Amino acid sequence: METKPRLRDEQLIAIFRTMLMQRTLENRGFQLNRQGKIPFASASEGHEAVQAGAAMAFERGKDILVPYYRDLGLALGIGVTPYEVLLSLFARAADHSAGRQFPHHYASRRLGLHTISSIIAAQLPHAVGAAFALQYRGEAGRAVLTTFGDGATSEGEWHESINFAAVHKLPIVFLCENNEWAISTPLTRQMGQPDVYKRAEGYGIPGSVVDGMDPIACYEAVDDALQRARSGGGPSLVEAKCYRFLSHTTDDDDRTYRSPDEVKARRKDDPVPCFERLLAEHGILNGEQAEALKRSVLEETNDATDRAEAMAYPDAADLYEKVYAEGWEPWIV
Amino acid sequence: MTSGMERAMATTDLKTGSLERHGLSDEQLRDMFRNMLLQRQLDNRGFQLNRQGKVPFALGSEGHEALQAGAAMAFHRGRDILAPYYRDLGLCLGIGLSPFEIMLSIFARADDHNGGRQFPNHYSSKAAGLMSFSSILAAHLPHAVGAAYAIKYRGETGRAVLATCGDGTTSEGEWHESMNFAAVHKLPFVMLVENNEWAISTPLDKQMAEPEIWKRAAGYGMPGRRFNGFDPIETYAAVKEAMDRARSGDGPTLVEGTCYRYLAHSTDDNDLTYRTREVVQERRKDDPVPAFEALLLEHGIVTADGVAAMRQDVLRETNEATDAAEALPYPEPTDLYKHVYEGAWEPWQP
Repeated sequence: METKPRLRDEQLIAIFRTMLMQRTLENRGFQLNRQGKIPFASASEGHEAVQAGAAMAFERGKDILVPYYRDLGLALGIGVTPYEVLLSLFARAADHSAGRQFPHHYASRRLGLHTISSIIAAQLPHAVGAAFALQYRGEAGRAVLTTFGDGATSEGEWHESINFAAVHKLPIVFLCENNEWAISTPLTRQMGQPDVYKRAEGYGIPGSVVDGMDPIACYEAVDDALQRARSGGGPSLVEAKCYRFLSHTTDDDDRTYRSPDEVKARRKDDPVPCFERLLAEHGILNGEQAEALKRSVLEETNDATDRAEAMAYPDAADLYEKVYAEGWEPWIV
Repeated sequence: MTSGMERAMATTDLKTGSLERHGLSDEQLRDMFRNMLLQRQLDNRGFQLNRQGKVPFALGSEGHEALQAGAAMAFHRGRDILAPYYRDLGLCLGIGLSPFEIMLSIFARADDHNGGRQFPNHYSSKAAGLMSFSSILAAHLPHAVGAAYAIKYRGETGRAVLATCGDGTTSEGEWHESMNFAAVHKLPFVMLVENNEWAISTPLDKQMAEPEIWKRAAGYGMPGRRFNGFDPIETYAAVKEAMDRARSGDGPTLVEGTCYRYLAHSTDDNDLTYRTREVVQERRKDDPVPAFEALLLEHGIVTADGVAAMRQDVLRETNEATDAAEALPYPEPTDLYKHVYEGAWEPWQP
């Protein structure tokens, strides 16, 4: 990894802070689940670099993000707060979806963040629809960033979405976070050849591959693709190679399908300590500053946890609210 | 797309002197030509019967004759499985369906394989290894891949599944899922795309950004190849190579044959609402039926008299099949619940 002039020091530090925050919040989700305080959390350890880098290329207030359920860092990077993340995990009434959505399925109209689908690839036709709307309305300088894992690439909706975007030259970037595991299905059982970006040629769009453990490289690849999309150059497929260090979710035990030794061997590429070393090496962040950053991230996480936990669950009487825009009438037998 | 077609045409010129026959005997070449004549005759008969008010619907496959006759020649009857789409009249004739069976389907008579209940031009034959058709684009491909998976699971060697589709189907999710699954499991499967440049009224450039479908093969990790689908011999060679690979356990292949749809999508479609007569007329110069006739004449494989006799014979067979099928009864309304479950059946009572 090498620092490039495209990002200023403060941006590099912001990226690192997002990575630290992602990891801390993620572990908090697992802790709260094991304490019996929340029913479920999903895991994104190993995705910190690709998500913090991609988020830095996203233009808040202009672009639209249509992520998948393993995008905690992307959501943080575009402006979702730790408190909002914990409201989602605790399923409290003050959550954006009023505590009704799945944990880690955030949404924010203010930030241009679509609501998340648990169904693999179901978000992609929606993302393409949003990109079609941008083109149809003639809104220049805006683009859609949509993400998915390697498993989603086997879904029909993935294919239909990329083909449609290619035919209509839509302002959209398809970012594949290839972590080699679709829950318990390894890459070799998911596709006949392991490079997702190579499919781009068949659709007539540019494809690129990037080291997903390198946030700067990820930023540059996604930034290039988003700039192309915003300027009318059509869609791109970007593949970031990363790794899933934890189980799929708190409900999954990955020891039933892969050995802890395999995971341990991959820890040498862990993007969080790697990026910390790089920043120290280049004098962008010294040891003391890194420790202070970690403390502030932990404090923020603790504070967000306590505040969210203290909030109320949704009222059972609210069940029929937010179903229709106007007045509602529960269905009576 | 025109440039792609021209490139494909450039690889084989039917009018050159030397004939690359890929091991096909004179008799096989004549069989392919007869199949092409029969397909065209039956295709036109379907349209005529519809305009006479005798059948409700028929599909047009004119322009696909060479591709289908060539592919059928690479199919091993009694071993391979065919999962075609609804524009595969010539492929079905080529693997053994009779004109009478085609007419039973179009007339929806009780003696039809499906008891007159399937859509016209949707044949099926357990004896011929021909799976029942789907009208839903790409819905047959997961079935075809399932059949290929069964062959592999049972450890049966020397068998393969040949599945076909048009260019429009390649935009469907099932197409992708089927290709990917076949690639992951290295199934004995050949995906033959009959690219006729029109998905009903949608032209190729509104269907895909990259007009060469075979290029998608690399993304799945399987071999891909494009050939001139107006040349039955080149088609035979390409499909045979892919089928042999599948039969010997080396996995799936994507083969794309370029052709053209000369008629409307079906008898219910008026193609003049979305393309001009001149565009179609211009493409008639590549019509595979007269082109293959000229090639066979040039190489002395058929004589003009022989061709005339063949045409007469094909017309006679078509007329006889039409009359025989038309004379048969429709299915009885009381048969409605038959063929739903095996064995005893009980109509649903509210």
